[in-house]
Amino acid sequence: MQTDERYEDLTALFEAQDEALQNEVFVEQVMKPIRRRSRWRAPLLFGAGGIGFGAALSQIGGVWDAVKAQTPTSFEADLSVSLEALPTAQLAVDTQSIWLIAAGLMVISCAVLVMTERA
Amino acid sequence: MGQPVTSDLDLARDAASGKEAAFEALVRRYQGAVRGLCRRLTSHAAEADDVAQAAFLMAWRKIGSYRGGSFKSWICTIAYREFLQARRRKKIEVEFDENTHILAFDTSAARLPEQLDLDRALKTLPENQRICVVLCVATGMSHSETSAATGFPLGTVKSHVNRGVAALRKQLAAESVA
Repeated sequence: MQTDERYEDLTALFEAQDEALQNEVFVEQVMKPIRRRSRWRAPLLFGAGGIGFGAALSQIGGVWDAVKAQTPTSFEADLSVSLEALPTAQLAVDTQSIWLIAAGLMVISCAVLVMTERA
Repeated sequence: MGQPVTSDLDLARDAASGKEAAFEALVRRYQGAVRGLCRRLTSHAAEADDVAQAAFLMAWRKIGSYRGGSFKSWICTIAYREFLQARRRKKIEVEFDENTHILAFDTSAARLPEQLDLDRALKTLPENQRICVVLCVATGMSHSETSAATGFPLGTVKSHVNRGVAALRKQLAAESVA
């Protein structure tokens, strides 16, 4: 430290004052909100992650249904699918979009949460 | 042989990975310096502790950005910024509190009051001078660190510190003679 030597006498006086300020109550005051925040942070993150995972799992079924509906087994079946399954496929896509948006929002929320906690 | 003291950097890394106990150790280690700094800047113990607490909470959020060096300087820089924000928000009076420091003002008296101590001597300094003295002398920050924290040019910081230290010594010497 470039200034230490010249101010040693005064620095020692200030440090003695600082020593006298040591107080466990203050430490508790600082740590209390940190512990409280940490307590809900993990369940919230895991909860959001679980919901996102559930959304992803449910999507697998929706995609599978859409693929099945659009795969022709025969010419006759193809015709019946094209006439009957089209609205279903459209519905599956809409549902998929909603789930994707929801999952995206979850991911963004978690990322924001983590960033604000640990900048 | 006692237990080896964990370095600030190791504690900060542990704290950054979410270990509250590591951060608690840092709070315990530097609470005196931070609270002392805030008291010297604000003049009001309760408000100073609020600023100090806000500084530690900010440090907890930003602990991942600490990359080594003097942790004391790092946390004191945060505390100084918190002080500035608190002053903007609550309009903390950094000028002399006329009720509690009237003795220190009484320079026309034939001799300085016997109660004049280091804090009171410090409060007789102009604000910018006091800030530089507090950061450089009381918290041990270098001139360049103080310059970076306050935004004052390096030469100005040096000048403030030199004048402030001379004034403090003069007052303390006068007190000890009295």
